[in-house]
Amino acid sequence: MVNDALIAELNRGYVCPPDAGPAWRAACEYGFDMSLVEDALRMTTEQRLEQHQHALNLVLELMEARTADAPG
Amino acid sequence: MRQDDKALLLRLQEQNLEFVIIGGLCSVLHGVSLVTLDLDICCAFTRENLRRIEKAVSGFNPRHRLASNKLPLELTDELAGRLKSLYLQTDLGVLDCLSEVAGVGDYHACVERSVIGQLSYGSFRILNLEAIIAAKEAAGREKDLVAVRQLRAIRERLQGGS
Repeated sequence: MVNDALIAELNRGYVCPPDAGPAWRAACEYGFDMSLVEDALRMTTEQRLEQHQHALNLVLELMEARTADAPG
Repeated sequence: MRQDDKALLLRLQEQNLEFVIIGGLCSVLHGVSLVTLDLDICCAFTRENLRRIEKAVSGFNPRHRLASNKLPLELTDELAGRLKSLYLQTDLGVLDCLSEVAGVGDYHACVERSVIGQLSYGSFRILNLEAIIAAKEAAGREKDLVAVRQLRAIRERLQGGS
């Protein structure tokens, strides 16, 4: 059932927990989506490395595509 | 362009190089959500270790990436005795090797302030949370200070702060 409350929740993004400490709050206020850090903290070291490698591969592909598209 | 950190780590380990993972990847292994484009390590800059690094990347077109003409990596005894850092571009990716980390110290200081990261293909030393924060603060570049914001939050969370 879609209602206004659900839509508002879906649209608002990450909300800093009310009991967050000052450093966590500062990172949220800086603009980080700290849910990504929360997810990472639930992972093993190896999972973090694998996730980073996937993200890095994508970044490098995009950089290559940008270079290929560059004029001249 | 390729950056295969696992392959680089494995090849360094196969050469029995003792090193500590520092820099952006160390931050990632602690939980930071930012992407880093290179692998940074700290090791003792003995001739033997530099030869181990050379062997690890041999066959992968290693070059001094910051030299104006990107000289191929060809260690001589004299060069190995005088290098303090090695900034390499290889076909496996960028590998930066430092003998010292600002804010932490030399390799031995890095070992003292490191933890073991357990991976399925081996265990690797990484700077502990306090040390990587100190290193990033000492580096002081904007990108380092951005990472410090997340590292401090992670430290607070792990220390039981909400």
